[in-house]
Amino acid sequence: MGKSLVKKTPKADRQDWQAMYAEWAKDAPEGPLKRFYEAGMISAQIALKDAPLLALDLETTGLDSSQDEIISLGLIPLNHRTIRCQGAKYWMAKPKRALNAESVTIHEITHAELAEAPRLEAILEEILAALAQHVIVVHCVSIERQFLLEAAMKIYGYPLYFPVLDTMDIERQAIHQPWWKRFGKQPSLRLDACRQRYKLPRYKAHHALTDALSSAELLQAQMSYHMDLDADIASYWV
Amino acid sequence: MDVELTEILEALCQHAPFDDMADDPQLNDMTKEIEIQYMRAGEWVIAPSSLNNALFFIRSGAIEVLSKDEKLIRRMNEGELFGYFSLLRGGKSSQSMRTIEDSLLYRIPARWFLKFYEENDTFSDFFELAREVRLRVAMDSQSSDVSLMTCPVVSLLRRQPISTDLSSDIRTAAQIMTEHRVSSLLITENDELIGIITDRDLRTRAVAQGLNYDTPISTIMTRDPLVMDSGDYASEAVLKMMGRNVHHIPIVKNGRPIGVISTGDLIQKESHGSVYLISDIYKQTSIEGLKSISRKMTHTFTQLVLADANTQMIGNAMSHIGTAFVKRLLQLAEEKFGPPPVPYCFIALGSQAREEQTIKTDQDNALILSNKYNPEQHGDYFKNLSDWVCQHLDACGYDLCTGDIMASNTRWRQPLNVWKDYFSEWIQQPKAEALLRLSIFFDLRGIYGDKTLAKQLNRHIRQEVKQHPGFLTFMARNANQRKPPLGFFRQFVLDGGGKQSHTFNLKERGIAPIIDIVRVHAFACGSDKLNTLERLEDIEAAGLLPDGRAKDLALALEMIGMVRIRNQKDQIEAGEEPNNQVNPENLSSFEKRHLRDAFHIVARQQEFIKFRYAGKRS
Repeated sequence: MGKSLVKKTPKADRQDWQAMYAEWAKDAPEGPLKRFYEAGMISAQIALKDAPLLALDLETTGLDSSQDEIISLGLIPLNHRTIRCQGAKYWMAKPKRALNAESVTIHEITHAELAEAPRLEAILEEILAALAQHVIVVHCVSIERQFLLEAAMKIYGYPLYFPVLDTMDIERQAIHQPWWKRFGKQPSLRLDACRQRYKLPRYKAHHALTDALSSAELLQAQMSYHMDLDADIASYWV
Repeated sequence: MDVELTEILEALCQHAPFDDMADDPQLNDMTKEIEIQYMRAGEWVIAPSSLNNALFFIRSGAIEVLSKDEKLIRRMNEGELFGYFSLLRGGKSSQSMRTIEDSLLYRIPARWFLKFYEENDTFSDFFELAREVRLRVAMDSQSSDVSLMTCPVVSLLRRQPISTDLSSDIRTAAQIMTEHRVSSLLITENDELIGIITDRDLRTRAVAQGLNYDTPISTIMTRDPLVMDSGDYASEAVLKMMGRNVHHIPIVKNGRPIGVISTGDLIQKESHGSVYLISDIYKQTSIEGLKSISRKMTHTFTQLVLADANTQMIGNAMSHIGTAFVKRLLQLAEEKFGPPPVPYCFIALGSQAREEQTIKTDQDNALILSNKYNPEQHGDYFKNLSDWVCQHLDACGYDLCTGDIMASNTRWRQPLNVWKDYFSEWIQQPKAEALLRLSIFFDLRGIYGDKTLAKQLNRHIRQEVKQHPGFLTFMARNANQRKPPLGFFRQFVLDGGGKQSHTFNLKERGIAPIIDIVRVHAFACGSDKLNTLERLEDIEAAGLLPDGRAKDLALALEMIGMVRIRNQKDQIEAGEEPNNQVNPENLSSFEKRHLRDAFHIVARQQEFIKFRYAGKRS
């Protein structure tokens, strides 16, 4: 495996999430989401190794965030040295529309389990409190970000944004080879395939908490191989 | 919502000691407090002289443990635990650990370790710090309650003894036996046992001899028969029956007979045909017959292993069978070549002498001749006899000795005086290199002929050693030549210095070193025993070892021996030639864990004799 560091975002392109949170805190309607932004975000100059990180994974009824719904969500806190199981959290949410057979087999969550779960409206406030002040770690940022944004729009009428370290994007850069060095296909960027490159164990996929743990471990491995722990968090978050 | 980290819990529960705790709800609570850490190869997990506050579980990858002076102690991989040593000593670690591969480690807080250590016996047994104690616990858990080793003969008795008075005649005795459907009858006088007769005696000593039916029973009975005490183990009964070739043993309690135990009773107890095999050997009148019996030996061996017999018992059985072959061949040889012109004694050497033979061993034997021996007159006779016996032993599966330590070699077929001179020279001017080869001679047992010759030689050897204590120094050094492995890592055997190999010789690296260690102590205390466990009893009685150390060596021998015979049984079942090579891939994690403890005991006791018998060297 290459020991090279992944590229840092050029200074001019770095996001200042702290400033943006302050804006949205003023703008957001009264309620849980406003309080989420008011809690604030770390400064862009905090070192990667000091940033409070939280790995997140969602399971949904499908891939279309405008129609499909979140049915479970797992969180686990970490830093470059440890992943703390003690802070792990897991929720299930009952969807408005019935689950189709296909997604039941993917998630290993049954109708019976979901029937007893609360609606997302009832737990989103709790989830927001857990997410507050953390930089979120996900494998493939677009899905998680889009679904949570839509959910917040529906429930609070205002979007939810948060800074992310995307393990898939980090991996893409880490294994990037210029076109003249590539032979055949690009290596897979699926979570399981990425983990294998660092000799991490195989897990059963598609449980929100297990997948959150998976990406937390993957990020630790990536940090030890490809990231500068003393660099500003802003060089990596998106 | 209750958080369950199933991946973590399941990974833990695949390995000892957590596999036995899967039902404990506290395990899930413990999981919630685990911290996970990814580390690249070459990083310190517990740096030298640092404090530790967690029990580590290797989820993936591998680590190595180093001593204070940075010597490799062991390597560990997936599913193994480390760090507990320091937790029980308030966090101070004398060893250091570092990753040797990229690893994912679970850090379990010390308080959980201490809690389970307090509350859960399975858990604390697993972490027992003293390897000796750990091995003892493990061996106890292995021995089954129904085995012959732990079952007293009294439990095999099924009826009151049938007996008759000394004044009875043969007819009365036969009638009593028929009425009670027994194959043996005790003969008593005033309630005291004075003899026994069996079906066989009636046939061979009465009917075949044409005796009158009113002949007194005393003429055909076996007087003062071999008896056993009610508290003796059934396994001893098997050994006695094999050793004396008898099928009935009266059992006495406080001197009075309380029953008779027969081969049939023992066969029912699954101990198997080894007793019958021996009497079959004595019945053979041709080499062909003996050869066909020798082919049944692997079966007898596997049956003994399957019946949970321990290594001591199997060693005894195999040695008695081996001895029966030698005796029968010598009887046949004396029929062929005529009676010996001067007395001689056929001696077994090495494992057969110690009664620790296993399946498939070379023959190691020699001949002690009476001092009246005259080479010109008697040389041909003994040469012919020895050649014939050794050659036919080979045909019966006891391969010729590659080192030519056999009675057929003139050098090892000598009068007692010459033998005494041999030993005097070896003991007075020991040459380390030669001794390694010759150590086999120091375990010698007369098995046929004039056994006083062997006794005299053994006495001479012990006297010489007593007068030349420097010899013990050589033996101790000799016993340090073959070092046990450090342990196992993945599918490899791990040696000091980090060398890894695919197979290793369990006899050379485990069993032989123990036998060597015990032999040194046995000679030091003047024991005349040959069997390693019997020697250990003498050594313990003589107070040569600190308390419990003799027992530890016995346990280590049993542990290693058990793995060896199981391995040999597996080889036989797979259609392979049984040998002493073991591939760690075929060992269970239980075996690996406890073999490692056994090796450690051996290594420590090797060190001990080095200093104990250091001698005076400049």
